[in-house]
Amino acid sequence: MSARRAAPQERPAGDDAIERPVELVIVARRAGLRVSVVRRYLALGLFEPYAGTSNAPLFAPESAARVAKADRLRRDLGLNSAGAVLACELLDRISELESRAARGAGR
Amino acid sequence: MAVDYKDYYDVLGVSRDATQDEIRRAYRRLAREYHPDLNSDPDAEERFKELGEANEVLSDPEKRGRYDRLGAQWRAQEAAPGGGDFEDFFAGQGFARDMGPEFGDGMFSEFFERLFGDGAVPRSSGPLRGRDIEAVLELSLEDALAGATRRLSLGDGHSVTVNIPPSVREGQRIRVAGRGAPGRDGGPAGDLYLLVRLAPHPRFRREGDDLQVDVRVAPWEAALGATVPIATLTGTAQVRVPTGSSSGRRLRLRGRGLPTGGGERGDLYATVQIAVPKHLSDEERELFEQLAAASEFNPREGRR
Repeated sequence: MSARRAAPQERPAGDDAIERPVELVIVARRAGLRVSVVRRYLALGLFEPYAGTSNAPLFAPESAARVAKADRLRRDLGLNSAGAVLACELLDRISELESRAARGAGR
Repeated sequence: MAVDYKDYYDVLGVSRDATQDEIRRAYRRLAREYHPDLNSDPDAEERFKELGEANEVLSDPEKRGRYDRLGAQWRAQEAAPGGGDFEDFFAGQGFARDMGPEFGDGMFSEFFERLFGDGAVPRSSGPLRGRDIEAVLELSLEDALAGATRRLSLGDGHSVTVNIPPSVREGQRIRVAGRGAPGRDGGPAGDLYLLVRLAPHPRFRREGDDLQVDVRVAPWEAALGATVPIATLTGTAQVRVPTGSSSGRRLRLRGRGLPTGGGERGDLYATVQIAVPKHLSDEERELFEQLAAASEFNPREGRR
């Protein structure tokens, strides 16, 4: 893992900006979680397919970070999966409201 | 090296005779308050780690008992005249161990690891990716247009070199893979996101994707028309000031503004400002006087 940590250092950030939708197994690998765990969050509606077909759905690259966040909250705060999903959705709403408020104040 | 004693009861804000229930409640409440995914304060992460460590010890009766016994002796020794540091204390207790260079790499403090050994850490629940981190990156307008390389310090003593691509916009997020918070138990690290903020520019004012700049012209240039150089983000350009331009007239230079995102650029608006010489030569004065006598132009009458 240490090589993995060091490698991105010299990689141009711009390359990452154009990331394609990914398969569920990739979401799981990037989140560091088992596929079955990621599937459970998918079933709870934490994230949604973004492209692909119903047989071979593809997901936004940000899904991995989102699933990992939900699972951190679940483990650290003693929540169940549904509670973690709810927490993530409420956090999304808060940050949306905060950025809306910041835009309003910036005018 | 002296190792600081940690008061785990103090960290959780509970008394020394707190029940397991009270400890769990205190931990849960503080964990919700300081969880780094919920609290964006930079100190929250450190605080949350402390909470986890205190909970790891106090919620386990065996570890708690050991901590209570050793802690009491430690405090007694500290109070004794010439009391040694924690290192001596452990040596006296027969706990001194040979520490490898990898020591201290774990998520718990050295105090914890000395007390329980690094094999004791912790009740793992498997690998997990680390948190994404967002940081604000202030760029000059020039760098936002042309791209740049920046070395950023990440606060934890590490730094990262980031190649910022050309044509970034205010509010854009640049992802730097794998430079967020470290993963747990071998999980991948999160990503670092740089939120672009455009710094105020000494010369150009920003209006969305367009830029505004003043162009100073002489009265005769304004009256007769002229082609004058103006500064742009990448150098200078020639702009045509049409005949009869008053102060405030906006001249548009298409595509010389900021990147719009679709590979295009906004416009640069040059606002005409008529400037006059502070001191006139005799000849200049004479010519202006002739002009004043000959002209019927009255700028205070509202036309053209």
